[in-house]
Amino acid sequence: MPEQKVELFARRLDPGVQKAVHDNSAAGTLKRYSILGGDYDTPDELRRLAGQIRQHSIEHLDTYLEQAEKSLHRHGAHVHFAVTAEDACQAVSGILERAGARKVVKSKSMISEEIHLNDHLATRGIESVETDLGEYIIQIDGDHPSHIVKPIIHKNRRDIARSFEREGLGDYNDDPETITRRARSFMRRKYLEADAGITGANFVSAESGRLVLVTNEGNSRFCLAAPRVHIALVGIEKVIPSDADLAVLLNLLGRSATGQQLTVYTEFINGPALTGRPSGPREMHVIFVDNRRSEILASDCREILRCIRCGACLNVCPVYRQASGHAYRSVYPGPVGAVLSPLLAGKKFKELADLPKASSLCGACNEVCPVDIPIPDLLLKLRNRGHEEHAPSPGTPPMGAFAMLASSPLLWRAAMQGSRAMNLVPLDKLPLPYLQPWLKTRTLPEWRGGSFRRWMKSRHSR
Amino acid sequence: MSTARENIFSSIRSALAPLPSRTPRPEIPPGAAEPCWLDRSADKMALFVQRAEATGTRCFTDPSACADWLRTQNVSKVCVPGPLERLKSLCGAFAEVVDTYRRADVDDIDAAFTPAAGAIAESGSIILSDESTPDRLAALAPWHHIALVSRSEIHLTIADALAAHPDDPNVIWVTGPSKTADVEGILIQGVHGPGAQACLIV
Amino acid sequence: MTISSRPAGRSVQLMATCLCDAFFDSVAKATVEVLEHAGCDIEFPENQTCCGQPAFNCGDWPASREVMRHTVKVFEGEKPVVVPSGSCAAMLFHGAVLEFEKETDLPAVKHLASRSWELADFLVNGLGIQSWPGRFPARIAFHRACHTRGTGSGDAALQLLQSIQGLEVVPFGEAEQCCGFGGTFSVSFPHVSSSMGCLKLEHITAGNPDFVVSGDMSCLMHLGGLAERSGKPVKPLHFAQILQSALHTHA
Repeated sequence: MPEQKVELFARRLDPGVQKAVHDNSAAGTLKRYSILGGDYDTPDELRRLAGQIRQHSIEHLDTYLEQAEKSLHRHGAHVHFAVTAEDACQAVSGILERAGARKVVKSKSMISEEIHLNDHLATRGIESVETDLGEYIIQIDGDHPSHIVKPIIHKNRRDIARSFEREGLGDYNDDPETITRRARSFMRRKYLEADAGITGANFVSAESGRLVLVTNEGNSRFCLAAPRVHIALVGIEKVIPSDADLAVLLNLLGRSATGQQLTVYTEFINGPALTGRPSGPREMHVIFVDNRRSEILASDCREILRCIRCGACLNVCPVYRQASGHAYRSVYPGPVGAVLSPLLAGKKFKELADLPKASSLCGACNEVCPVDIPIPDLLLKLRNRGHEEHAPSPGTPPMGAFAMLASSPLLWRAAMQGSRAMNLVPLDKLPLPYLQPWLKTRTLPEWRGGSFRRWMKSRHSR
Repeated sequence: MSTARENIFSSIRSALAPLPSRTPRPEIPPGAAEPCWLDRSADKMALFVQRAEATGTRCFTDPSACADWLRTQNVSKVCVPGPLERLKSLCGAFAEVVDTYRRADVDDIDAAFTPAAGAIAESGSIILSDESTPDRLAALAPWHHIALVSRSEIHLTIADALAAHPDDPNVIWVTGPSKTADVEGILIQGVHGPGAQACLIV
Repeated sequence: MTISSRPAGRSVQLMATCLCDAFFDSVAKATVEVLEHAGCDIEFPENQTCCGQPAFNCGDWPASREVMRHTVKVFEGEKPVVVPSGSCAAMLFHGAVLEFEKETDLPAVKHLASRSWELADFLVNGLGIQSWPGRFPARIAFHRACHTRGTGSGDAALQLLQSIQGLEVVPFGEAEQCCGFGGTFSVSFPHVSSSMGCLKLEHITAGNPDFVVSGDMSCLMHLGGLAERSGKPVKPLHFAQILQSALHTHA
């Protein structure tokens, strides 16, 4: 029988990788619990407040996006808009070419992964170096991130040491500290040589135009210290009303993502550096990217646009812990990815319509979400859409006969009674193909259909 | 006006038009995001020191203690900007002192002092801005960075610091030394930014 | 939906659930005895079948709605509807409302939703029962069924269990994690589902409990089946079965 793709990937996953992903994710979940529980009496109230701020923001996106644009203009930043991924790539290379920039340093940005920016820049002969340690390793390996916050959660130090050796960053050495020091000195040169720095943004305050960037390594700060041009790629949904809302959102983001009250660097930028300063960009460009976000806004899954990319739902998700991020075949893995990726796929929805099924609907993702996104409900809605569009779903039993039986009480009762015959057949001979894989690892209790009904009747007739 | 801009705004408007109602902007109750352990009457400086140390930022109130620490760190070239004569002479006792940070010296300068715009007690963060800290590189590239924080500019909470944001194109909160856990979740300090973060409260 | 808005009289309708209908008559019987001890007068609508959740979770909402329409008809009236399963109860008060959002008969579905209770939630938060009499000398691991997240059910069941003499609740690691059942998920993703289940069993058996207890026979059927096949010595029990046993020692 054909298998679900996520199931197949998980079944073939290297047990060492699976354990690393599980253990790292479980540790992340514990850290989040302990800091949120330690710091707040009612963290759920704060999550709901943050959820309302984000829902309000996306439902007033027309107003806030325009306001953000004006605020950025006021502070001397250039604002661009890109409808598609390709438009966004063109906008970046256009700015770089006009500025005569050939070398670029990049800090981690999910939207740049989404639009495949590095591939595009390579075709234009522009060197673009990922500066986040994990993303750099992904780049030299020609790999893809498997977690929103921990891109190389699927790699171990030996893999990394081999990659560094291959890239000429020194002899094989798998000590994490040595790996980090080598990256530090290599990256220094790149920062100082670079003409432009490319970043994403975690939030944009409409009121002040401030882009907020959070990192731990300090790489985004370096991208905005040495180069003369700053380009920020920002999904249109990142806009929030004002700086005051950040008190709620920042307090949740760090704690949810990495168990920190705040990440090491929290940077607020709304324009080029002050004149006469020895470092900092002379030019700042903000590219607001739609790439189907307005389509998602029009759908009944718009709540997913609240997401602030903390990765807490990945860490807590039991399916992610078993399957790892690459099982999701898209930029955004885990529960958020299972919702977002098929929606971002547009006409190719069906190709990723299996992702919403890769969930036991346990709801742990909603419970940890800093902006309280009802992820299980969205997964269910997308399953329904997949059904309506006849998307393939291997391993899913058809439900027509069940529905007929379950809405005909006489038939139902007869089936309950009649299926007692099952007890006479060895489990592996049961003519239920969908159930056979289930029975490989589990026994089935004795069929006792009708027993309760008879007992209930006898009590009433007593 | 670009077409892309118009397209996006028109898609957003038509996406929102059918909504029967829109989520109102929630009132954020004062102190909503403050940790439960926060004591509003706490001494801001004491709290700042406690929180900063907890995130790995060393705090000094005495310039000579700070200089002594740099000496034990075997620092050989220190950037001390402007008219900070006392610091210059303290550091000059064991290291070469320069008063401007030059890119050419990026590999040689292993410690730099820069003025800060303030600090946040609740999170133990140092606030830098373009106005207060003219050279972003000086506060980032050396292994040791010492921010000069004025005691009167310590905000109690993150919310207070946001409300009092300096009017500056670039503000950054620094909460501890640069770090990563990308390799097997193991914490390593000093990735791109300072491996040793300190502040001298003046 | 706030708990106080749900009716909580002692005249109730029982939804036994399809799993109890097919496999676990002992759990349904225990539920009846527990409710009767709580002073309830129980109506068992004979035409009940299933809540429609399998089709709902598969994405076949038209099929699921067909079943739900039947269920709405079967459970007419104003009485509280009590279900010895967190997951079927959640289908009534949450899932059904979601799948009928754009349907004209949404009000009827909402009416059923507003009367639906998971058993422990009903006993503690509906009827105000704070403790349970009797003895049950055993060490148990209590698995909070995922569909009771964000409801009062988990705490309610635990409160009653902990009030029973001789019963010791053994904590275990990664308690917030799903057991891996997930209805048709366990059929479509057999490997991921069993791996999740085995991990859950590892955590549960680490404390060496006599029983693994939950408010959902679906989780327990899966965990019990895995435990039996892999030779892990832990027996599944619905919390209603413990309440029932305790009553027998009390009498």
